[in-house]
Amino acid sequence: MMKGDFEVVHGAINLVQPSETWDYTPAGFPVPHHISNPPTSPTARPVLDGHCTNTDLSDLIMEQVASPFSEASPSTTNGFPMDTSALPTDNITTSPDEYRSRKAPRRVYERTVCGSGESRSSSKSLAERDHEHGLNMITLLLECAVAISTENLPQANRMLLELTQMASPYSASCAERVVAYFTKAMASRVMNSWLGFCSPLVPHKSILSAFQAFNNISPFIKFAHFTANQAILEALHQKERVHIIDLDIMQGLQWPALFHILATRADGPPHVRMTGLGTSMAMLEETGRQLSNFARRLGMSFEFHPIAKRAGDVDPSMVPSQRGEAVAVHWLQHALYDATGPDRNTMRLLELLAPRVITLVEQEMAHTGSFLDRFVESLHYYSAVFDSLGMSLPFDNPGRHRVEHGLLSREINNILAIGGPARSGEEKFVSWRMELACRGFVQMPMSGNSMAQAQLILNMFPPSLGYTIFQGDGTLRLGWKETRLYTASAWTTRPTR
Amino acid sequence: MDTLFRLVSLQSSDQQSSFKSSRTSSSSRSSKANHHLFHQPFQNREEEKYREECGNNYHVCVDEDFSSSSSSKHLQPHPSTAATPTPSTAATTTTASTAHVLFELADFSFPPDLNIDFASSSSAAAGGGGGGWAAQLLLECARAVAARDSQRVQQLMWMLNELASPYGDTEQKVASYFLQALFARLTSAGPRTLLTLAAASDRTCSFDSTRRTALRFQELSPWSSFGHVAANGAILESFLDAAGGGGSPQPQRLHILDLSNTFCTQWPTLLEALATRSSDDTPHLSITTVVSSASPSAAVQRVMKEIGQRMEKFARLMGVPFKFNVIHHAGDLSELDLDRLDLREGGGALLAVNCVNALHSVSPAGSRRDLFINALRRLQPLIVTVVEEESDLQAASGGDGGGEEGEEGFLKVFRESLRFFSAYFDSLEESFPRTSNERLALERAAGRAVVDLVACPAAESAERRETAAGWSLRMRAAGFAPAAFSEDVADDVRALLRRYREGWSMRSAGEADDPGGAAPGIFLAWKDQPVVWASAWKP
Repeated sequence: MMKGDFEVVHGAINLVQPSETWDYTPAGFPVPHHISNPPTSPTARPVLDGHCTNTDLSDLIMEQVASPFSEASPSTTNGFPMDTSALPTDNITTSPDEYRSRKAPRRVYERTVCGSGESRSSSKSLAERDHEHGLNMITLLLECAVAISTENLPQANRMLLELTQMASPYSASCAERVVAYFTKAMASRVMNSWLGFCSPLVPHKSILSAFQAFNNISPFIKFAHFTANQAILEALHQKERVHIIDLDIMQGLQWPALFHILATRADGPPHVRMTGLGTSMAMLEETGRQLSNFARRLGMSFEFHPIAKRAGDVDPSMVPSQRGEAVAVHWLQHALYDATGPDRNTMRLLELLAPRVITLVEQEMAHTGSFLDRFVESLHYYSAVFDSLGMSLPFDNPGRHRVEHGLLSREINNILAIGGPARSGEEKFVSWRMELACRGFVQMPMSGNSMAQAQLILNMFPPSLGYTIFQGDGTLRLGWKETRLYTASAWTTRPTR
Repeated sequence: MDTLFRLVSLQSSDQQSSFKSSRTSSSSRSSKANHHLFHQPFQNREEEKYREECGNNYHVCVDEDFSSSSSSKHLQPHPSTAATPTPSTAATTTTASTAHVLFELADFSFPPDLNIDFASSSSAAAGGGGGGWAAQLLLECARAVAARDSQRVQQLMWMLNELASPYGDTEQKVASYFLQALFARLTSAGPRTLLTLAAASDRTCSFDSTRRTALRFQELSPWSSFGHVAANGAILESFLDAAGGGGSPQPQRLHILDLSNTFCTQWPTLLEALATRSSDDTPHLSITTVVSSASPSAAVQRVMKEIGQRMEKFARLMGVPFKFNVIHHAGDLSELDLDRLDLREGGGALLAVNCVNALHSVSPAGSRRDLFINALRRLQPLIVTVVEEESDLQAASGGDGGGEEGEEGFLKVFRESLRFFSAYFDSLEESFPRTSNERLALERAAGRAVVDLVACPAAESAERRETAAGWSLRMRAAGFAPAAFSEDVADDVRALLRRYREGWSMRSAGEADDPGGAAPGIFLAWKDQPVVWASAWKP
C-alpha cells in the first residue's frame, strides 16, 4: 500500500521541470479527477449539480450553535485560554424547549436541506419532510450536547438512539452527514463514560489511507505541505548540511517535493538528515525506505532516523544535533489522536533543538476546553470541511466517504468522545503560536513565495468550490468560504536577518 | 505490520503511568503532580476536568452482583506479549472510593488469551460465519457478561467501542450493532432502547424511503425476492389446480391473507401471472394484508395507504379485478382475530395464506405459535406458504422458549444471532454499493432486531426465528402436510438467482445438513449457509 502511495508522488514529480525559484513549480500534484475537465463557463459549475445542497452551512450553524451557549460558556474565541473549570453549568441547563422554539435552526435548513437532488413527483411535500427532518436532527443534536455537558447521560443516550435512526452519513445533505458522525462520536463518548474509562485505539493503516485520500481530493493537506516546504527551503538557503525533524511524519508525503527542489538548487544539494517521529516503528521504517529510495534517485546524500515515540516523550539526547547542521522542525497538527504527547515536553525539545526554522500547520479550532466548547468549535469547523468536500464531489463518491469516515469522523470522535488530546490527562496548549512567541521564538512571516505556492495549489481547484486563502499576522490560512481551517506559520530561534 | 491496530496510549511505560494516574484517586493524582517535570497550578484542574469528563460518577442500574464482583477477579496477562505492554500494577484496590463506579480499572491491553487477527477484515468471506475479529470480541464479551466478569466485560466493551462503526466495513458494523445491544442489556434498557429506536425509525419512515429500500433490496439481493417467487409459484399453481377442477362458469375468486413484512412487493408478479396465465376469465383477486406492529404509527398507515392505491392502479392496468384491504393490528400477531376478517367473501373464494417472516414475529411465549398456526389451519386454506429466515434463535431448544432464559440461553441466542446477522450483513456488503442509504435502512432494521434478541425478554420478542425443522414440526402438528414445489417453481427460482451476483444458491431442504432433516421446501443459501427457507403447506 505504502509503496503505491509513493509511486504516485514520484510519477508526478518526474514530470516537473526543475526550477530554482520554486515559484513556478506545481510539483507533485496528482490532479483531482474533476479538475481535469474544468467547467468551460464559470457559471456552469457542473460539479455542483446534485452533489451537495449546502452552502454556507458552517456560518449558519455557527450562528445557531454559538449563540445559545455564548452567555453560558466562556469560549476560546480569541485563542486565549479561559478558565473553563469555572463553567457555570446551571446556566446551560436551559430547557430543551427553549432551543426548539428558536427560529435559528429552521433557517439553517431552509438554506440547506431542502430539495435534495433528484426531482420527484411529490417533491413539494418531500422537501417539506426533508426540511423538518433536518430541523429535528439539528435541534436534537444540540439538546444532546447540552445533556452530555450536564452529565445527563441517560437522556443523552435516548436522544442519540433517535439520531442514529435519523441521520445518514451517505445523505446528499452535508449537514446530515455531519450530524451522523457527531452522533456516532457522542454515542461513543456516552459508552466511555459508562465504562468509566477512555483510551483511544488507533488503526494507523486505515488512517494513513484515508489521509492519502484527503490529500488527493482537497487542497488542505497540499497547502500544509507546500507552504511549509517553501518556508523550510528559504530558511535552509545555502546550507550544506540540514537536519529535518518531522514531529509526526506518517507516510512523509510532503518530503519528495522538497527533496526535488533541494537536489536541483543552484548551490548544490545539501546533505539531508531526517528524523521522523511516529507511533509505529514498522511504518516509520517503511517511510524511511521510500524516502531513501527517492533521495538516491535524485543523487542526494540522505540519512533517515526513525523514532517510534511521541515528541513529548522523546529524550532530547535521542535527537542529537551535529555541528554545522541547520535544523528544521516540521509539525502538521491533526486531531486524530494525541500524536505528540505533553506539549510542555515538546516545547522543551524545540528549545533544546534550537531550530533554524519551525514550520507549524494548525487546525483553526481549539481542541481544549469544556465539552460544550469543543462541540461548538468542532461542529463549526467540520461543517465547513464537509461542505467543502460536498462542493467538489458527488454524495456517493467512495473517496469522499473514505475521508469522512476514516479521517474526519476519527477526528470528531477523538475531540468529542476521547475529549481531544487534553483528555489523555496531559497538558495541551490552547495556542501553539502564542506559546512559541512567549518562549522567545520569533515568527518568520510567510513569504511572498509561500503565498504563491498556496495560490498555485488553489488554482488547481475551480474558484467556484469556495476555497479561500487568508493572509495576515505573518501566517497563511486556507479556509472554505469565510471559515479558516488550516493555518501555516514559521518560526525561528534567532531573529531573522 | 501484522497488527493493524496499535495501542497508542500504551506504547510506552511513561504514557502508561500518566494514563493510570489520571484515573486513580485524588491522592495519587497529587503525588504524581509532585514529580511532574513542569508542575503548574492548573495541572490539577486539567485532571479534574478529565475526571469530570470521564464521567466516573455516572450511575447505571445494574444488579448488585454484577458491580460487586468486579473487585475480586483480575485477568492474568502473560508477561511477555508482543506489542501489548502489560500493566502489572493496573489492578487498583480502591474499593471504598469506587462504590459508585461500575467497573474497576482493568488492564487495557489486548487480552493475551485472545488471538485476534485484525488484518483479515474480510474474514466473513468464508461464508459470513462470524469468524472475524468482531465475532471473536463479541463472543468473548458475551461470555464475560454471562460469567459476570465485569472487568473483562469492561475491557472488551472498550475495545469494541473503539473499533466499531455502523458506517465502516462488515466487521465494524456487526461490532457496532451488537455492542449497542450489549450496552442495552447491561443497562437493563433493552425494551426502552428498542421502543426509542422503533419510534424514531417510524417517524422518519415515508412511502418513498420504504419503497426505495424494498425495491433496491429486491433488485440487488434475492433475500426477499427468493421467498416471493417460491410462494407466488406455489399459490398460483394450487389456485389453477383448484380452479381448473371446478369447471364453474363463474370466474374464480382468490383471496390472499397476506401476513408479511415486505410491503406488497411480492404481489405485482402474481398479478401479472394471473393476468397472463389464466386461460379465459381472469380471476378476481382480493388481498387482505395485515400490518402488525407493537405500536402502530401514522407513518406506516400512510405508507400502506399509498401502497394500496398503487396496487389497485397496477391491477387495473393488468386487467385483474382486484380488492385490497389493509388491517392494522397492534400487538402480537397471535392476538389477531382471524374469524373477524371476511376472507371467504361470503363463501366461494379460495383462500391462500402467505406468511413471510410472519411466524417468527409471534411471541415464543407459551404456545402462542402453535395456537396461531392452529388458527390458520381452521381457516381451511387452499395453501399456506411459509417463508422464514433460517436461524435457531429460541432460547431453549425445542421448548416453547418463552420462559425465563438463563445464561446458557442468552449465550446460545447471542452466538446464533451473531452467526446469522454476520451472514446477512456480509450479503448486504457484497450486494450494495458502499454508500447506500437503502442498505443503511436495512442494517438499522437488523440492528433493532439484534437489540430485541440480545437485550429484551424472549416472551416479548418478535425476532425469535426458528429453523425449518422447527417450523415443519409445528406445521405438521397443526395438521398441515408439506406441498412440494414443482420443477417449474424451482426453475423460476434458479432463473431468479442468476440475476444476482455470485454467492447465492438454491438447495432443497432435504440436502441441507440440517439436524432435523425432515424439513420440506427449499433454502436460499449465501456462500453455502442456508439463510432463507421457503415452503408450502396444505391442510
